[in-house]
Amino acid sequence: MNWWCFAQPGTAWTWQWQPLIGVWLVMVLLIWVYQRLLSRTDDSHESSRLRKSRRVAFASAIFLLWASLDWPLGPLGASYLASVHMVQFLVVGIAAPALLLLALPTAAYQPLRRHPRLTKALSDLTHPVAAFFIFNIMMTATHWPGVVDLLMPTQLGSFVLNIAWMLGGLIFWWPLIVPVPDRPGFHSLGKIAYLALNAFLIRPPFAMMIFSESPIYAIYELAPPPARDALNDQQLAGAVMKIGSAWIMFAGVLVIFRSWMLAESDRPESA
Amino acid sequence: MSYQIKPLLKLYSLACASVLLSSVSSCGVPADGDSVGELRGTVLEVPILKPDLVLTDTEGGLYDLRAETDGYLSLVFFGYTNCPDVCPVHMATLAGVFDELAPEVRDATKVIFVSTDPERDTPDRLRQWLRAYHPSFLGLSGEMEAINAALAEMKLPGVAVVPGQHGSEVTIGHPSAVLAFGRDGLARVRYPFGVRRADWVNDLPLLLSENP
Repeated sequence: MNWWCFAQPGTAWTWQWQPLIGVWLVMVLLIWVYQRLLSRTDDSHESSRLRKSRRVAFASAIFLLWASLDWPLGPLGASYLASVHMVQFLVVGIAAPALLLLALPTAAYQPLRRHPRLTKALSDLTHPVAAFFIFNIMMTATHWPGVVDLLMPTQLGSFVLNIAWMLGGLIFWWPLIVPVPDRPGFHSLGKIAYLALNAFLIRPPFAMMIFSESPIYAIYELAPPPARDALNDQQLAGAVMKIGSAWIMFAGVLVIFRSWMLAESDRPESA
Repeated sequence: MSYQIKPLLKLYSLACASVLLSSVSSCGVPADGDSVGELRGTVLEVPILKPDLVLTDTEGGLYDLRAETDGYLSLVFFGYTNCPDVCPVHMATLAGVFDELAPEVRDATKVIFVSTDPERDTPDRLRQWLRAYHPSFLGLSGEMEAINAALAEMKLPGVAVVPGQHGSEVTIGHPSAVLAFGRDGLARVRYPFGVRRADWVNDLPLLLSENP
């Protein structure tokens, strides 16, 4: 029995279900932490619709994480198909972190202000410039062929890779979603530019996957079927990474733009 | 709030440059840092002579391995079409290699797939299975005695039939390595499972140039 999905080069794919205990434990842990944070937070000032939206965001995050990491997508992405691996990245590294941060009421973040050192560290770590670089370096490093081929064949390595994605995603979305620390200078227009830049940016892993003449990842090149042509699968993975992440970023742009417009229309007109 | 952007910019640029460099170097050359110009397969201490083997091709004709492949670089592999792991990987890798090779190298190279499961690998099935990978790949089948004798000549393990358990299909134990016979009929290099496309693309022109 395995606790986390990992690459097993040369092992034939089977549709026989296999339990991944670690994935379930992480899901249970996330639900427990969320319930605990909610029970300690007074979110009565938020509308019932907003509270419901936050629950839906959390449930969506948990469902997406579970579906992408558990059988069959987990083992398929870890060992057989780079394109599925990239779908996992979109979920674990981009979509789920945004949903998890959105799932918490604004008041849940306020206790962070009671810890000046933590606030300072968060201020530095999640500064938009720092977040931009941390996310992109993380994304580049965790898709580097040597790193993927080294980490994916072990459960611990695969877990570390997934955690790195999640942390990178949380840092990326933090300045856009979380109200602590205050960033009065980071206006909606700046947030839109931040997301748009990340949507358009051509990252090295994408270029490698699309333009390399040979498969760059040994684990997917040497994977038995369902992988048939490792190079085609790799190019599909590059397209999934680029188009998928751009769509998520653009969804973020739309949400920020809408909030901005609503805020502007609610603002009382000066006499 | 002030923030030092330059060190971060440098760090990211360095990471991007390194990855781009690695991406450029992986275009047709090694993925694992091996140098170009050296064989990446396992060089045999004692060369192996191409076995004197006459089998049946997928059109039903007799195929004399030595005569038909004389003057070609021949990549000989023993496997079966129901193989769940090693065979499809080798064939898919070699198909990708053939797409990438220069035409003169491709034309001088033959991939020979010898079935170790003649009962299930009918000529039709063998032909269709191989053509799904590359139209030039040749499929052969024959008596197991002759095949096992050839394997012994090539110092490769013989075929082992493993009965299926709980209703599952029979699996066939077979060598996982591909032997590369040069134009002179001698194999000096073998390619175990795990050899990558970039390794083949590096080695095949070298093997041809050794025996022009």
